[in-house]
Amino acid sequence: MANTQTAEVNAGGTKILAHLPSNKDMWVFVLGDLVIFSTYFIIFMIYRHQQRQLFLESQQHLSLNIGVANTLALLASSWFVAQSVQLTRAGDYDRAVRLTVGGGLCGVVFILLKAYEWSSKIGKGLTFPSNDFFMFYYMLTGVHLFHVGLGLVFLGVVFRELRNPKLRRVSMVETGATYWHMVDLLWIVIFALLYVMR
Amino acid sequence: MTTTKARAITYVWIIVSAIAIVSWFLGPAREAGPPVASAPITIAVLAMAFIKARLIIGYFMEVRTAPVWLRLATDAWLVVLWGAVLTIYLW
Repeated sequence: MANTQTAEVNAGGTKILAHLPSNKDMWVFVLGDLVIFSTYFIIFMIYRHQQRQLFLESQQHLSLNIGVANTLALLASSWFVAQSVQLTRAGDYDRAVRLTVGGGLCGVVFILLKAYEWSSKIGKGLTFPSNDFFMFYYMLTGVHLFHVGLGLVFLGVVFRELRNPKLRRVSMVETGATYWHMVDLLWIVIFALLYVMR
Repeated sequence: MTTTKARAITYVWIIVSAIAIVSWFLGPAREAGPPVASAPITIAVLAMAFIKARLIIGYFMEVRTAPVWLRLATDAWLVVLWGAVLTIYLW
């Protein structure tokens, strides 16, 4: 733990204790993933710029209800996971375990909503090769969905460790949480670009 | 200390969820007729997403209390991404 705490001086000149949640490797991974996704987002914006009307009309076929429900499910799961980190630090492992399960269940709800959304789109004949918008829609939401799945595996590991007094490590709980919040963060961007902007 | 942080996480969750519900009223899928592009709505949507993203990074990912290099790196990411998205949109 000692290596994750460094003293820094804030604007007022007083010393505060900075803490790097999880570990440096996870943050390098997260920042790298954010850069990779940003490349996709910028390529999406360039395609959108070239075919504004087509993208706008295609956006109209998306379900804003499901998009918002997806967002609320991930935000709720992030709340569970963030509180679980606080409880783990306080040594309240039983509640931390329950909140981790809550976070995971919200993640499962997200996947079910996405599966329903995809199947209803495919049912309407809106598939990957339909047009450039739907190509990006399936690509971005698909790659993101893979991250949600991986995040659930992480939460599963956290759940297993928290239940076993011999395995409990705050840093592991923080690492799972950092990854999970990144999944939430990427969805916020996808939601704005695919569903809401016009 | 822990309870203050826990409370802050809850407030942030309420704020970001409220912003998500506001964006529900703005998307083109709500239009009955042909969709109309709107720069003011898009700028508002991008600004709200920027705020949501920064709150998630600061409070959920706890970057607010992380070392300076991480605060700078995440802020740089936010500014470059949303700056690029907005520039391409307005171009």
